[in-house]
Amino acid sequence: MSAAVSIAGLVKSFGGFRALDGLDLDVREGEVHGFLGPNGAGKSTTLRILLGLLRADSGRVEILGGDPWRDVVPLHRRIAYVPGDVSLWPSLTGGEAIDLLGRLRGGLDRKLRAELLEAFELDPSKRGHAYSKGNRQKVAIVAALSSNAELLILDEPTAGLDPLMEAIFREEIRRQRARGRSVLLSSHILAEVEALSDRISIIRRGKVVETASLEQMRRHVRTNVTATLSDGAAPLGGLPSVDDLRIEGRRVRFSVDDGSLAAAMGALALHGLSALTVTPPSLEDLFLQHYGERLHPEDADDAEGRRPE
Amino acid sequence: MSRIQVSGTRLAGTGFTGTGFTGTLPLLRHAIRLDRWKLLPWLLIFGAIPAATYAAYGSIFTSPAEAMLLQATLSTNPAFTLLFGPAAELTTAIGFVTWRVQMFSMFFVALMAVYAVTRHTRAAEDSGQAELVDSGVVGQHARLASAVLLAWLASAAVGLLVGGTLASAGAPPSGAFALGALLAGMGVAFAGVAAVTAQLGSAARTANTLAVSVLGISYLLRGLGDTLADAGWLLWTNPMGWAERIRPATDNNFWPLALLAAAGALLTVVAAWLRSRRDFGLGFIPGRPGPAQGRAGIWGLTSRLDRGAFWTWGVSLVALGSVYGLVTSTMATIFADNPFIKQMIAFRVATEEQLLMAFVGVLLLVLTLISGAFGIHLALHFYAEEEERRAEWVLSAPLSRLGYFTPTVVLAILAPAVGLMAGALALAAGAKATGSAADTGTVLLQALAQLPALWLATAVALALVGLAPRLGGLAWLLLVYWLLLTMFGPVLKLPDWLLNTSPFHVVPNVSAPDADWSPVWWTLAIAAVLLVSALAGYRRRDLVCT
Repeated sequence: MSAAVSIAGLVKSFGGFRALDGLDLDVREGEVHGFLGPNGAGKSTTLRILLGLLRADSGRVEILGGDPWRDVVPLHRRIAYVPGDVSLWPSLTGGEAIDLLGRLRGGLDRKLRAELLEAFELDPSKRGHAYSKGNRQKVAIVAALSSNAELLILDEPTAGLDPLMEAIFREEIRRQRARGRSVLLSSHILAEVEALSDRISIIRRGKVVETASLEQMRRHVRTNVTATLSDGAAPLGGLPSVDDLRIEGRRVRFSVDDGSLAAAMGALALHGLSALTVTPPSLEDLFLQHYGERLHPEDADDAEGRRPE
Repeated sequence: MSRIQVSGTRLAGTGFTGTGFTGTLPLLRHAIRLDRWKLLPWLLIFGAIPAATYAAYGSIFTSPAEAMLLQATLSTNPAFTLLFGPAAELTTAIGFVTWRVQMFSMFFVALMAVYAVTRHTRAAEDSGQAELVDSGVVGQHARLASAVLLAWLASAAVGLLVGGTLASAGAPPSGAFALGALLAGMGVAFAGVAAVTAQLGSAARTANTLAVSVLGISYLLRGLGDTLADAGWLLWTNPMGWAERIRPATDNNFWPLALLAAAGALLTVVAAWLRSRRDFGLGFIPGRPGPAQGRAGIWGLTSRLDRGAFWTWGVSLVALGSVYGLVTSTMATIFADNPFIKQMIAFRVATEEQLLMAFVGVLLLVLTLISGAFGIHLALHFYAEEEERRAEWVLSAPLSRLGYFTPTVVLAILAPAVGLMAGALALAAGAKATGSAADTGTVLLQALAQLPALWLATAVALALVGLAPRLGGLAWLLLVYWLLLTMFGPVLKLPDWLLNTSPFHVVPNVSAPDADWSPVWWTLAIAAVLLVSALAGYRRRDLVCT
């Protein structure tokens, strides 16, 4: 399979700050690739280099077989982009903004445009300043999805969308994949990336620390379980791969990896399970478990004590 | 606080309630904290400039006769009266300071007050900040009251600073504080204007534009009141005219201050009444829905985004040009009355036409500076698209950097030039209509000669956008420097080499027989070089991503 995006050893500094520090990334043609990392890790900078908005300091960057800085116009005919935190022109309507982007790329699919407007329940006749954050996001999403581009670059596209709209968004992305489009989807929410992606790359401090398929990634992540048992505390300590077990009266909390989840549920059921909360691991958990490090620098002191040897 | 509540119960019928102001003081404290770095520079500049001018007086004039001569020159040239107000008393330092700073400072104090009020009312509603605050324990009038109080406090601080620094520099306290009162009064009145416009417009930009239009109209009315015969009553029609009536250094007449304060308070009450009759986030001038589809490409987008600016600046230039044209007719009377000028003409030192054109040149200079500001505005507006992250989205389409920048460059070169020529034409037409001897062709030729200076100002801004966008504001500083140098430099007898650093100063008087056009070509060449570097720079640089 050929590559939609191929980056090796990418470096980009802003003043003294090294935003990207030897980043490698490969997006295969036809796949949805999750680009996962905390805020400030360098996701948007990477995407902006791929769009030729920023110039790489060093490293090799190829997108759809071209140089993103040199071949802007021919490449952009084949790429659509949803920026993170979309800003619209206050005096232009959403429909005018969609058509502006469409016209700049030489036309868009009118039928698809109409369908998407309906699916996302977006009123295209409102002025830019009258849209909420979620609706501004939808304008950019409709503009990108109705473009027939081969590669979609989406920077935290669902920020501000309500859960219903998020579901519709996921459905549309799956449709795009079914048509053979490639998608690079950046996010700091694990669940979103998990729901859509074939493969995931995790970026941390300007470097991709891991690229793996979802199954491979799952092995790293642990699910948090909180249960209330009518029989009192259950002897869960003996179960394999149960960790962080805490017992507070009749409530137990623990984390468990995907492989042992079924066994743990069985054990809970035997002891009169009366309430259950299962929380999928957040990116925060993943980083804590996998890298022994907190995402926020203010917690750094705390993290030092937990760093595994 | 308690005083406000007592009056509040009395005014219950007009929408005030006893608890309407709850939270005003915490909001005010919050606003002061947010704005301290925005307001401090204004305050420091206002504090420093009058006192510095006062201190410089002794070195500007070596003898009282020189000051008298300047006063005679200025008061016989209505162009200067129109622009800076009457030069009533230049033989005292405080009188000179008043003439130098009053018109500009009035303008800027009013802008400070307008922006502060809009920022904490309409702009906060636009951004959603207000929603967060208003959901707390906050009365319905608290936000408006705190915004207006902030502007009033800042205006009062300007007044006290100006009065205090001048008095401590040795000026007579009555004159010093009269000038302070004039400025504070303007701020107070225009805070009221902005409070009302913030209720009318449904976006911060509309609110600001409306308030600044009131300021511009005030400036024009007061200018006409000062210059036209039998038009003194025009000074009573607007806040700027009232403020001018204080006449620091001559009359020191404080009671117009009461008029300004009353206007500020009354307008604020009207604003509160309007506020209680509209929905959150909406204005009385409703935001209408628009077309669900569009046909604009990048040229269409650029002209669409700058259309409002084009009409605003264009109409201002034509209006100002017409007013200047009307004033030109008074020159004939002045030539006839002034023995000195009669002598100059008699001895063929200058022809009447040359003197007239020198005067028209000053007026055209103002139009050119305003057009230059328009050009800078267009250039920096392009960069604002980048700062607000819309450029990023547009450039993700198949559009080269040059393809994106070129429409703005073309527009920034053409639109201010069209504005200037339209203003010049209006000036010539106004002059003709009132029987002035100014020749339309010569006026237009003079305006043409000034075009390169305007383009240089625009090209500097474009080059900054292309090469170092974060420094874009320097273009404004440079324009203000050129403005001060060209307007006041000759009066202050600055050396030629310094005056010649302004492209507006080196423009020749086209009616003079020995008019030297070479500076015009030089200015044009420098502007062209800057334009090329603007385009090259924008093609090569990183987009500014916030």
